[in-house]
Amino acid sequence: MDPNTLERRCPRLGGSVNFSYCQTCGNRKGPCFKIFDCWWESFDVVEYLKKRLSTEEFTKLAEGRPRPKMTSLLEIIEQARQNIESSKK
Amino acid sequence: MKSKSVILPKDEMPRQWYNILSDIKMNPPLGPDGKPVNPEALTPVFPMPLIEQEVSSERWIDIPEPVLDVYDIWRPSPLTRATGLEKALKTPAKIYIKNEGLSPPGSHKPNTAVPQAYYNKISGIEKITTETGAGQWGSALSFACAQFGLSCKVYMVRISFDQKPYRKTMMETWGGQCISSPSPYTKTGKDALAKDPDTPGSLAISISEAIEDAIGDKTGKSRYSLGSVLNHVMLHQSIIGLEAKKQFEIIGEYPDIVIGCAGGGSNFAGLAFPFVADKINGKEIEIYPVEPKACPTMTRSPFVYDYGDIAGYTPMLPMYSLGHNFVPAPIHAGGLRYHGMAPTVSQLIKEGLITPKSVNQLDAYKAGVLWARTEGFIPAPETNSALAAVVEEALKAKEEGREKIIVASFSGHGLLDLTAYEKYLSGEMAESVVEDDDIIKSCEVFKDYPKPEILKST
Repeated sequence: MDPNTLERRCPRLGGSVNFSYCQTCGNRKGPCFKIFDCWWESFDVVEYLKKRLSTEEFTKLAEGRPRPKMTSLLEIIEQARQNIESSKK
Repeated sequence: MKSKSVILPKDEMPRQWYNILSDIKMNPPLGPDGKPVNPEALTPVFPMPLIEQEVSSERWIDIPEPVLDVYDIWRPSPLTRATGLEKALKTPAKIYIKNEGLSPPGSHKPNTAVPQAYYNKISGIEKITTETGAGQWGSALSFACAQFGLSCKVYMVRISFDQKPYRKTMMETWGGQCISSPSPYTKTGKDALAKDPDTPGSLAISISEAIEDAIGDKTGKSRYSLGSVLNHVMLHQSIIGLEAKKQFEIIGEYPDIVIGCAGGGSNFAGLAFPFVADKINGKEIEIYPVEPKACPTMTRSPFVYDYGDIAGYTPMLPMYSLGHNFVPAPIHAGGLRYHGMAPTVSQLIKEGLITPKSVNQLDAYKAGVLWARTEGFIPAPETNSALAAVVEEALKAKEEGREKIIVASFSGHGLLDLTAYEKYLSGEMAESVVEDDDIIKSCEVFKDYPKPEILKST
């Protein structure tokens, strides 16, 4: 079975996505922070990702969770400023 | 015929929002330097009146007349007695719901979308940007912007944009501009498209695009809008509970139990916070924020300072948290899936003013279907969690032979979430509960973290 063909409802988007989407819709095109909780019942997603991610990437994913809104807003504002500045150059 | 609903006359609509921050003491969010975060850092994205509300400790804040004029389209929302459900459960309890699914976009979201649009308007802002996943918030904000003649630009994650064309149509009907994200209009979007022209997008990209769009407007007349979690959002939602209190006064009753589903917290807070104020002043009342058992953030986790990110360089917030290692099991109520709870709700739990409950998702959908078959409306998945708690309390009242009065927030209808119902009805929905051993293990990460001061407001 190729897990990338599996499909389920994404609780964040409210629509159907396949597993391959969940591996690339997170920060910096990495896995979504909810990938374990969404897929663990369907197949051994932990083992699957352990094999495909570096130890550091896997640890970050396993230990991560959503940022508080205000916190993430401040970060995104700073990133947006940098984007706008670099677009001017 | 006996009326099922208590209708509050239009001229009785509350004229002020209630601010819970006037009645509770909060540990501040901490920055990476260990110092409190300054909300004024948000000036590039929010107009000053909203920032002032974000940090205000005034108990009552006037609802501007133009906002009341728009609320008037669907508010006051009815307080409806669920006689059909009571009969089905054979309970002596009186069950009421505050129906927020009757707003034009079908949820409680416009309670804050409307004032946010208004405050932007009076601040000279001409355009509001936002992101949307499923499209609910984008729809609410498009509706609100239409009421004040503002331009609304919604960055919708491309995969949803393609799957849900009717959402785009809703937004455009209200005059909003719904853009597939990533888009060619921002550097974030351009970069994403350059890497992969066929990318399905993500919420992270959409949020970044919306903020970049707002702060990149050289005229200074664009801002960004957020529909959950922050204090000013909770403030605006308080109209739900304030109306409910007036409606109970009309019929000479007062609830024994208040119930709301708790995700970002705004729907629960909207109904519950005005009753929390009564409890602080000595009223005997039970208040239950409800979450799914599969993600027991409030019910079984410690109150700690925890980081909001992986690397640990973002501010630490006082909250109930299961720690970095916790991976919750699947549930389908999207808005409820948070590892951490809103700081105000966390604080109220810590002080014992509200008591979190959890329900499993099968019970939630069972309650939702029972509700639909007895009361007619098909609830949103998140609403089902609250209804499951209502059923539990109503059956408890039956066992005890007590005529308890229960009120719950009906946060929205589920007409755009029927796929989840399909899974439930076809038996495809799974159940899972986190074991205590897993939680103990996940919380070991906190052993060296600073502990928030235990503040008591009463």
